[in-house]
Amino acid sequence: MYAKFPEGAAKRTDPTAASEVLYDAVIVGGGIAGALIASRLGDAGKRVLILEAGPAEDLTLRGYESYLDRFYSATSKDNQSPYPVAANAPMPRGTDARRIVPGAPDASAYIVQSGPFATDTTYTRVLGGTTMHWEAKTLRMLPEDFRMHTLYGEGADWPLTYEDLAPYYNEAEREIGVSADVKDQAYLGMTFDEDYVFPMKGLPLSYLDRMVAKDLDGMPVELDGERRELRVRPFPQGRNGIPNPAFDGGKGYVPRGAVSTYQVEVGGRCQGNNNCVPICPVQAKYHAGKTLAVALQSGRVDLVAQAVAYKVHVDEQTRRVTEIEYRRYDRPDSPGFTTMRARGRLFILAANAVENPRLMLASGLRSSSGLMGRNFMDHAYLLAWALLPEVAGTFRGTNCTGGITDLRGGRFRRRQAAFSVDIHNDGWGWARGAPMTDLIDLVDAGGRYGESLRQGLVDRVSRQLQLAFMVEVPANPSNRITVDPAYTDHLGNMRPILTYDIPDYTMRGVAYARQLSRRIFARLGAEDHTAYDPNFWGYAVHAGEGYEIRGGNHLAGTHTMGRDPSTSVVNPDQRCWDHDNLYLVGGGSMPTVGTSNVTLTIAALSLRSSRAMLAQLDAETAPITVTSTGAGRRQPQEVAR
Amino acid sequence: MTASTINNRDDLISYLHVAMALEHATIPPYLTAYYSIQSTTNSDAAHIIRVVAVEEMLHLTLVANILNAIGGRPDLTRPGFVPSYPAYLPDGEDDFTVDLRPLSPEAVETFCKIERPGQAPRADGRLLRTPDSGSPVLAFSPTAEGMRFYSIGEFYAEIIEGLEKVAADDPKLFSGDPALQVGPEYFYSGGGAVIVVSDLDSACRALRFIAAQGEGLDSGIYDADGELAHYYRFRQLQLGRYYQMGDAPDAPSGPPLSVAWDDVYNVKVSARLADYPAGSELAGVARDFNAAYGAFLALLTRAFNGHPGLLQDAVCDMFRLRDGFNLLVRNPLPGSDGLHAAPTFEIPAAFGADPEAAPAAGASARGVTR
Repeated sequence: MYAKFPEGAAKRTDPTAASEVLYDAVIVGGGIAGALIASRLGDAGKRVLILEAGPAEDLTLRGYESYLDRFYSATSKDNQSPYPVAANAPMPRGTDARRIVPGAPDASAYIVQSGPFATDTTYTRVLGGTTMHWEAKTLRMLPEDFRMHTLYGEGADWPLTYEDLAPYYNEAEREIGVSADVKDQAYLGMTFDEDYVFPMKGLPLSYLDRMVAKDLDGMPVELDGERRELRVRPFPQGRNGIPNPAFDGGKGYVPRGAVSTYQVEVGGRCQGNNNCVPICPVQAKYHAGKTLAVALQSGRVDLVAQAVAYKVHVDEQTRRVTEIEYRRYDRPDSPGFTTMRARGRLFILAANAVENPRLMLASGLRSSSGLMGRNFMDHAYLLAWALLPEVAGTFRGTNCTGGITDLRGGRFRRRQAAFSVDIHNDGWGWARGAPMTDLIDLVDAGGRYGESLRQGLVDRVSRQLQLAFMVEVPANPSNRITVDPAYTDHLGNMRPILTYDIPDYTMRGVAYARQLSRRIFARLGAEDHTAYDPNFWGYAVHAGEGYEIRGGNHLAGTHTMGRDPSTSVVNPDQRCWDHDNLYLVGGGSMPTVGTSNVTLTIAALSLRSSRAMLAQLDAETAPITVTSTGAGRRQPQEVAR
Repeated sequence: MTASTINNRDDLISYLHVAMALEHATIPPYLTAYYSIQSTTNSDAAHIIRVVAVEEMLHLTLVANILNAIGGRPDLTRPGFVPSYPAYLPDGEDDFTVDLRPLSPEAVETFCKIERPGQAPRADGRLLRTPDSGSPVLAFSPTAEGMRFYSIGEFYAEIIEGLEKVAADDPKLFSGDPALQVGPEYFYSGGGAVIVVSDLDSACRALRFIAAQGEGLDSGIYDADGELAHYYRFRQLQLGRYYQMGDAPDAPSGPPLSVAWDDVYNVKVSARLADYPAGSELAGVARDFNAAYGAFLALLTRAFNGHPGLLQDAVCDMFRLRDGFNLLVRNPLPGSDGLHAAPTFEIPAAFGADPEAAPAAGASARGVTR
């Protein structure tokens, strides 16, 4: 069934009228965190305002197809290629990355990179946020990821455990519509409730996965005295598959298809297209617009788009947030804007782990811990590529269906980073631009055309194997987001400045990953073509060896949660220690990033926090007098957790 | 009320064979209009046609399940299963036929007629005499010589009544092998779900679902699941606006939509192989398409005869058929005044008919051949 987006909802809320309303909650950001919280608060009868930086357009099938058309006709097929560039709400692009000369920040693109390490990390600023371009891998974090300091003396412990989060993982998996089988996902301590089933059955491994598995499964690996055997395992995915009739105690599950203001019937199931990133052609892949559409139906959730948050205002006495000042631009391509304000009982920053601290720091709110913006994390990706001895059907299936997850956890994490390994069904696409580069080479250098060109292309790409090692990056206070009035965007918003280096702990994991890739290729009889270019913007040297390191767009850690206000920015409910009615939600709250893509965990944390928000709203029932100088009424109760 | 034309299991089987041919016969016209649309244009029209075509495939599968449940043998390979276009429709009028057309007001008009809600004006008006023009008829009575139905809805109403009657007389009617049933996991997208048929109740549910999804007969413009009936989906293209819940049949009030009638490959209406220059490359492609389509129907026949897993392979085949369509519609047909080529759906004989499939339904075959 399609998700009906109420016609006109992207424009129906007049910002001037909205500024006179005291909302129960004002949410900055219409991505997955903001959409989930809006839906849960709206369901509970609360009035919610979402401020979205991206263009104010209803989500319709036609509008979505305009993204597709832009993608199809784009020369570069990077993560942002389908999405309109709005100078007023700029987005980082993977193609922005430049090698950084020491001492000279690269300010040529939206994120100012002061290095020393350059990254191509991105996020998408349209309605639906980065779930528009995400790959929809929905790995849970391992129980040990929450206890890294206790177990391995590396990184931090969470104030939550896997068991605390498990019910919210369940709820997030329902909301996203995850396809997976418990038997494949119960490993390295991950447990599931008795009789738990995912909403949809696991998606099949690709032909390429199975070709790799044939020779790889059972490969022994010994690390830190622990022996294990590798195997190719299917990933859980936020893509529609075959509904599991046993879901929800036998009630089954109805996949949520495309979003539109009018009835459409697409997106009910994945069709195996090979461009999940940057856009699923049929919306079989979950995106936050699906949640948002449902949230907007209640009539209690308002949306003002083309609204870029400019400043969080705080009452001097109570330290409570009084309003969010935002700049509402008239048109995506012209500089005109109106300054507006949004008032509420609660404020929720759900931008992302770069934009949340950027806004806080631009508002002069550094956190009494001094940690606002610090401990930035992403995943460090190392790619290794080879040609298989026989045709393996590369480019069949979605971007990624299976991989090796046996080295996500273990005692070795005392000294080196863990990783998860993707088998890429799009061949050497990420590393070397296949199949476009192969095509150009066959035409330009090979003079091929017609049948011979077609066959030549098949011969070249269908044996390609690319392994992507997603290596964890531990929290490090000097990896951070800052702002500087010298760097602003069109609307006068201070731009994020990223200071980032890859820790040795991660590099030891990277070096091990490269070594392992050689062994895997040897076992498969594959011809290793991996070569790292010293001129690559993300080139990093460790122990005399150089590697190309890429970003994962898995932003985390810039407002980490904890139990101690002096060593964390938010509490376990993601409520700011400094400001009782302000929540900073999303990957920024995560003390460790582990070896799972962050969206599922962001969703689970958001769902958990929405309970705390409701409890707080109910505890603070009386209206609060809010003026820009006036005092708030009282300190709220500590929210039960 | 005329006397029932269904008196026993054999009559039912004959009717269900016709039903399969009928459901299938709507698909080539829908696909021709759909693939005539130039890429990146006409999103509204393309999606409306696509969803109806996909749901006709669901209907085909549902009829196959009913047929299997009572011990019949679905067979999409027998001669005449694919009609020769243009073909008559059974809606009580003799003045229009179903052609293979590019997206056009005429095509949409025809689609509305195919899906039009239609109860016979008189209780005894369900069965009408077939026209004499020689064009084939999509829904006719396989047991009452020379008779056809007022509408597709009436055709299914006859089957439901017949099923109830035969089931009452024959407690062993639903003795088909349950392993032949296609389960809900195989239907991809679109509204509705595959119903596994094991008894009278599930068979009637499947038949009522088919009738309701097409025409919205008793259930108004939306069905119980909130899905708009096919007829009203097509009406949106004529009325220029989407329906939304609560709308009256002639006054949709949802978002506007528009059709760019010119952003279409103007393919020759109901092209025949004879229209292609003999020996040309294009003629070869058209012939290949027909052969591939024949092979596809043979694959479906095997899927409906105990190998439902083959429906997974059918997905890849459908993508290949799409490619075949695109090869043809993007090329002008020489000697046809600039009109473009299109598949002719003249299926070559002897396309891998399942040797085990019953020779059955000779009567039903007759009605859909020229």
